[in-house]
Amino acid sequence: MIEIKNVTKSFGSLKAVDSVSFGVKSGEALALLGSNGAGKSTLIKCILGLLDYKGEITVNGVDVRKHPKQARAQVGYLPQEPVFYDMKTRDIIAFFARIRKAQKDEPGSLLEKVGLAGHADKYASELSGGMRQRLSFAVALLSGPEVLLLDEPTSNLDARARGEFLSLVREYKDGGKTVLFSSHRLDEVDYLADSVVLMREGKLVYEDGPENLKKSLGLKLRARINTGKERIDDAAAALSRAGITVHGRNGLGIVVEVGAEDRMKPVRELLACDIPVLDYSVEEASMERILEGAGTDGH
Amino acid sequence: MDINNVLLITGKDMRESLKNRWFVLYTVSFSVLAMLILMAASGAEIAGFSGYGRTAASLINLVLLFVPLIALVTGAISISNERENGTLQYLLSQPVTKSEVFIGKFIGVLIPVLFSISLGFGLAGIGVALKGGGGNIWAYLFTAFMSGLLAAALLSVGFVVSVYSGKASKAIGIAVFLWLVFIILGDLGIMGTAAVMDLGIEQVFVLAVLNPAEVFKIASVLVLSPRFEILGPVGVYAVRTFGREGIIFLLISVMAAWTVVPFIFAYLSFGVLRREEL
Repeated sequence: MIEIKNVTKSFGSLKAVDSVSFGVKSGEALALLGSNGAGKSTLIKCILGLLDYKGEITVNGVDVRKHPKQARAQVGYLPQEPVFYDMKTRDIIAFFARIRKAQKDEPGSLLEKVGLAGHADKYASELSGGMRQRLSFAVALLSGPEVLLLDEPTSNLDARARGEFLSLVREYKDGGKTVLFSSHRLDEVDYLADSVVLMREGKLVYEDGPENLKKSLGLKLRARINTGKERIDDAAAALSRAGITVHGRNGLGIVVEVGAEDRMKPVRELLACDIPVLDYSVEEASMERILEGAGTDGH
Repeated sequence: MDINNVLLITGKDMRESLKNRWFVLYTVSFSVLAMLILMAASGAEIAGFSGYGRTAASLINLVLLFVPLIALVTGAISISNERENGTLQYLLSQPVTKSEVFIGKFIGVLIPVLFSISLGFGLAGIGVALKGGGGNIWAYLFTAFMSGLLAAALLSVGFVVSVYSGKASKAIGIAVFLWLVFIILGDLGIMGTAAVMDLGIEQVFVLAVLNPAEVFKIASVLVLSPRFEILGPVGVYAVRTFGREGIIFLLISVMAAWTVVPFIFAYLSFGVLRREEL
């Protein structure tokens, strides 16, 4: 549905997007991950034809550079921070409905769907951040585009609004539509994404399913082991001999780094040395650590 | 190009202009001042003008002060403001072309500006009619027409400023500066240049018609008054060289060029050059 081939976008001497290639299949949800400045928003703007670029981008077979208007007709876009004209909510969606050649009843039904029917007479400036996001989502859904392009769609939402919004996106995706979204949140990736693309400094550094993300990046997890106060030193020595990095100590035990592929190794080593394990917990990899780990050690 | 998109954007921008309090203030001020000028100029014939002619002559200076300022500033903020607040990028992320957006915005701003001018001239014209009319109504209408052309010309210049300005505040600053150049410095500049460089009358004439405000003034006065020498040596030269009809045609053409050339330049810059800030 979306094909990106050797796309490069430079601003002067800075390569914001550097020879990026990947595809998004029809009906798939792809998460575009990366820290600030990785090139995610720039790439999204290239897909929309808002920026010049080198390389090739097609949306449902339409070349974005040659036919930007036709390409955008197939895309519903939700920017990171939606801004609207100083008009009433109903007038805003009616305006964009006419631009997008939507059916007459779509504005009303979409406002209902996103929970804004009761706020139709409010001006955009009177809407909260979450409401503006939902209005932007309603606009993006006008005329039923094949592709949704979401640029950090939940960055300005509270937890409840985020959950509601993600449900709406999931519903759209389950209807067979294609979604490309950028995000900082692992739980959104786990909830929505069929595949993940990770960008760092403009380059693509990872492309695969979300389940392999942490493993492929060789990320270490942090494990906390409660051995009791008397055996901390013995436990630390035993784990060090086994090649396990001891990260720190607390009152009752130690913190170590373990590979995602063998979380139970510290427990086995300690038991083999007759050191009791009173409690054991593993801290999942955070997005920050994933983004830090990307692009290093050859990944 | 989808004409429906153009009309949609035109309608949106028209509504925004008519809701803009500064624009409403300008429209009301222009109309009120036009009526005050009508009342002040009523009575006996003045300097050979009466009725419509007297009112048109009185309105020339009002037009010179008001119309270029509102046209330049309105044009200057049209694109720069939307670019700055992010709505332009959002609009361009929809299935529209830059051509549709540009033309829609230009017409959407031009119509309210022309409406303001028409309202002022219309109210003053009705006032003259109620006082018994008289004078040259065609000269009055021609002055109104040239005012509209002046507005369109400087709106085009304002759009050039808007396309190249990243911020609305900067665009407004440039627009006000250009207003000073065209209106205040124009006459002084010509006189000063002519004196310092000892220019001939032909050269002074060329300098004068390079300024759309001067073009408006010369054309309006030439149509209003049978005595073109009130424009001084430049007026005498112009009429003797081109004839009265010829000079009027030339001045309208210059004003049309001032509308078309900046418009095309702004249009190409906006659409073809692809400003990366979008």
